[in-house]
Amino acid sequence: MSFDDLRERILNVTDSALKFSRDLNIPSAEVFVFNQSSTDLSDQNGKIEVKDGVKQGVGIRVAIGKKLGFASCSGFEADPIKAALQQAHSMAKVSPENPLFNGFTPDSKRSDEGKLDPKAFDLDATALGKNIDGINNQIDRSDKRIIAAYVGTSVDILGYAVGTTEGCLSSTLSTSTGVGAYIIAMEAGERKTGSWSVSGREVQSLEGVGETAVKRALSGLGSKDFEGSEVLPTIWESRQASTFLLFPFMAGTSGSAFVEKRNPWKDKLDQHLAIEGLNVVDDGHDPEYNSTQAIDTEGTPLRQTQVVENGVLKSFLFNRMYGHAAGKESTGNARRQAPGGAPFESLPSTFPNKLVVQNGSKTLEDQIKELDKGILVTSLPLGISNFNPITGDFSGSSTNSFLVLNGEIAHPLKNITIAGNFNETLMNIQTIGSDREITDTPLNSPSMTFLGHTIGS
Amino acid sequence: MNDEFIFDLLHKAVKEGEKQGAKFVEARFDDYQLTSIDLTNDIIKESSSKRRRGMGVMAYFNGTPGYSFTPEVTIEGAKSAAKRAANLAVTTDPRNRMKLEFDERPAIKDKALPTIKKHPKDYEFQDKLELLKRGVAAIKENVDATTTQGMYGEFYGEKFFVNSEGSEIFWTPIVVDMRLRADIVENGKRATAGDGMGQSQGLEFFDNDRYSPEIVGANAGKWCKEQLDVVAAPVGKVRVLAGPTLAGVIVHESFGHLSEADFVVTGMSPIADRVGEQLGSEQVTVIDEGVTPYGGWFFPYDDQGTKTGRTVVMDKGILKGYLHDRGTANKMNTEPTGNSVAVSFMFNPICRMKNTYFEKGDLTEEEAIEKVGNGLYAISWRGGTASFDGNFLFNCSRGYLIENGEVTKPIKSASLSGNILELLKHVEGATKNMTLRGNYFGGCGKGEQYPLPVGMGGPEVIMDQVLVGGAQ
Repeated sequence: MSFDDLRERILNVTDSALKFSRDLNIPSAEVFVFNQSSTDLSDQNGKIEVKDGVKQGVGIRVAIGKKLGFASCSGFEADPIKAALQQAHSMAKVSPENPLFNGFTPDSKRSDEGKLDPKAFDLDATALGKNIDGINNQIDRSDKRIIAAYVGTSVDILGYAVGTTEGCLSSTLSTSTGVGAYIIAMEAGERKTGSWSVSGREVQSLEGVGETAVKRALSGLGSKDFEGSEVLPTIWESRQASTFLLFPFMAGTSGSAFVEKRNPWKDKLDQHLAIEGLNVVDDGHDPEYNSTQAIDTEGTPLRQTQVVENGVLKSFLFNRMYGHAAGKESTGNARRQAPGGAPFESLPSTFPNKLVVQNGSKTLEDQIKELDKGILVTSLPLGISNFNPITGDFSGSSTNSFLVLNGEIAHPLKNITIAGNFNETLMNIQTIGSDREITDTPLNSPSMTFLGHTIGS
Repeated sequence: MNDEFIFDLLHKAVKEGEKQGAKFVEARFDDYQLTSIDLTNDIIKESSSKRRRGMGVMAYFNGTPGYSFTPEVTIEGAKSAAKRAANLAVTTDPRNRMKLEFDERPAIKDKALPTIKKHPKDYEFQDKLELLKRGVAAIKENVDATTTQGMYGEFYGEKFFVNSEGSEIFWTPIVVDMRLRADIVENGKRATAGDGMGQSQGLEFFDNDRYSPEIVGANAGKWCKEQLDVVAAPVGKVRVLAGPTLAGVIVHESFGHLSEADFVVTGMSPIADRVGEQLGSEQVTVIDEGVTPYGGWFFPYDDQGTKTGRTVVMDKGILKGYLHDRGTANKMNTEPTGNSVAVSFMFNPICRMKNTYFEKGDLTEEEAIEKVGNGLYAISWRGGTASFDGNFLFNCSRGYLIENGEVTKPIKSASLSGNILELLKHVEGATKNMTLRGNYFGGCGKGEQYPLPVGMGGPEVIMDQVLVGGAQ
């Protein structure tokens, strides 16, 4: 299989499905064809798990005017595709009109799909096994504090195509590889974990992955209690800031939630929602990002959308239908969730491609040096995901944080709670770091220092 | 495609895997149909029909597993997947330091079918939509809601399993589910509440008095209205009566996962090597079961063809064992418990829970409330997480104060947190009423395998020393 073969295959299946739809006298149809070949190998403290296979399937939307039906099937066999078309058609017939629907994509415009690494085809179980060895060799098993090590590596070659009876027939491909390590360390009854991973469109270097995970696990040992409750600055490493900020940005940038009047930022367009130094772009063009594709999952080219400029909210993220309902164009943000690894089973919804927070000027070390007293957060606190999207209130408990005193890391902390409000947090960014890392998280931020979080024990 | 053809296909896959050098092969075929409807503000916001169908082959070489899958339901597809699985097992075996071999057992030939009176496949889309419309009407009779939402989901299909021992197993998973929700925005206040659940039954489940659309809708409406006038929950260490849903999610997420034997044999679980220890109070018995007398999910066989039974994980506070597949059971010199499950044919089976619950006690609900004295009656949850050191945090979305042994006022949303290994020591009793859910919506996640339908619930459970936080 080559990239050309893969592209030809998914386009052929799409074209055939559209022909079937015409044979079945279906007035309007959109066909989403998905193909992902994957190999995963993990070493779970000595226990090897390995799997490969091709996730393949077709998702079909049928429209009768503004009445919509959706059905999907796994595989590319003709009969299940025809059955899905008929099922979607039947559902459209009995569905009431969706007043927001504005038709399927009418053309085949596309942007650049990002880097493709042909070496991904060579990453079989033997090659992935060498990755595992490479990371394992970085883990010092003679250190008795390390009680378990988990190492994983994977490769994916993904392609999807979108075809519509209105004239769209377009495809996009991507490659991604990843390696990671997760370490459990224990000393004097205290248990700490550390992890590190890298991923990207090209075959990844193993350098430092195992060593960093070990270092992060061991650094948490010897933790002490945090006494009392205090409002303190918190410094979040790049990866933690990325996941932390994703929660308000996911809720606040949603174009569908904006149209449905349930977006917490619905009244903040062209208003300050963060400090002046904050700039955020949804970047669908950077060829290095795993998320970059030529088209979104309903056939619109990806683009760059300025979401926050100098602290001011400039745009929400839309797919075709919700963009139209808001009087805007699609921003190329139609994505399909993939529970169970099967995006063809989901309808397109609005979702960020890659929200990128512009770097500031200070390193993480600079931020630590400038702090008299505060908390360094090195893993996402448990419970932050349960934040209240209406009020912005959040609270979580962290077992991987450090006390910073007089510009230095004093010691690791036992379980602490971190509470605050996202709306206030964005207005209380003290420092934006210069160290943004590119990860698989849909938002990538540099490290940040926030004021006003309440720390408790 | 008839059953004979599928079994033949799977036998060919097993033979091909063996031919390629595998010492043991399991092949399975799943064919599922999933349908859902989301009726929001009387408009079908989303409806879908999904056919999920394909084959998976697990090959073992010296206790090293290799897994491959294909959506191609053909002889070529079956043989190709088997060949790849066998090659993966053989290729990676030298690297495997924990070989989980298992003994051969007698072949099983069985068909396991639940009794279904009103199978959803025999009813039209409009019939299911009508259920939601009836539920929404009941909401509206009870509250002037800003938003109403009705969600219907059904999952049914066929599972075939064959292995090198000659087993041939066929069973039919099924669940139907309906949820109704009301939201009110009124004078700057926001209230939301919902009711409903799923069960491994046909549409007759909604003829049940408690889960009819009229009752579920009325509850959603009444409970939503109630949320407009709530008091703050007491904060700090509080005695809590956790309702079946909340008690079920706590035992599943924060304890059940720790007892999954793949985490135990690899040293990840903090309860590894602790069988026989008193980890909880004498009031705690934790069960994982495939087909229960209380409903939930119908789960007669796992994805290694092991017949499921009733596993006592904890008995009166003493840890009795773990949730095993064939390999982990053999390594720990015990019997497999039928917990090897994959979320679909696209994934390898791993140790997962089935229907997991606290065993019922001997209290009535009134006695349990009286025993709490002053505390919290925490019924529904919305959002929560648990970590591998046993810490958990769940948000109680519907709850009430218990004052002087009586349920009094509804409370604002509150977080309940703690460490499960501490919490189990403070379980003080359970009621004799049991409710197990078998949900279409949501599901259990482990690694990339999400959402796996599982059964959850149990009795109402009294837990002391739960850390209650303020409204979120």
